[in-house]
Amino acid sequence: MSAFDKYLHAVILRATDEARADGSSTVDAQHLLLSLAADQGSTAQRLLASAGLDRGAVRTALDREFEHSLSLVGVAPAARDLPAASPAIQDPALGASAKLALERSFTTARKKDLRSAHLLLGILEARIGTVPRTLALAGVDRAELAQRAGRALEGGER
Amino acid sequence: MPAAENTLPPEPADSLAAVVALRRLADQLENAAVEQAMRAGWSWPQVSEALGVTRQAVHKKHAKRLIAAGVELRRRAD
Repeated sequence: MSAFDKYLHAVILRATDEARADGSSTVDAQHLLLSLAADQGSTAQRLLASAGLDRGAVRTALDREFEHSLSLVGVAPAARDLPAASPAIQDPALGASAKLALERSFTTARKKDLRSAHLLLGILEARIGTVPRTLALAGVDRAELAQRAGRALEGGER
Repeated sequence: MPAAENTLPPEPADSLAAVVALRRLADQLENAAVEQAMRAGWSWPQVSEALGVTRQAVHKKHAKRLIAAGVELRRRAD
């Protein structure tokens, strides 16, 4: 297993924990984003932090997008006050949005050249879906952040 | 329900995002509601009838989670 494979495995494991904590049966792109934001010391984490997105800020922004999208059809998330259900036993599987983000990451570089910022780029490339809506609501310029990730990679940062 | 709630948001992206959010909300609600019912002594047939799905479907979706959580499960509707 290459160093990047090990790194990717750790990112996906953390994303899987985020999905489980979220009560989600799938690991989605937003869980990968939470995982990267919690990945202290990586270029992806540093780029996100520079946009004000530490792990807690991403979680808050995701909750806001959830409530906002519900409000658009006249629904208030009463589930917020529900007793938390016991967690699922089965591991959430990679969902469509996470697969797409990973595929996009992998097409931007040769496998041996892949780094954390490629994963961030793959997530940021999505123009439609929960992640871009969350970033827009949080006032984060997705395209600009993607450009900075691209520049960090050209500069050879890990 | 007010009539306004029966119209879609003008942007398709907003309408589709609302579907995603509602599915998530429904999943959260189902997990909590099934657990509440089983803890209150409801049986699988009763819960499945209330949800309008098959017993197999509700069992497959929730049994492992509830057993692991230590919920005492009734097998029959008696």
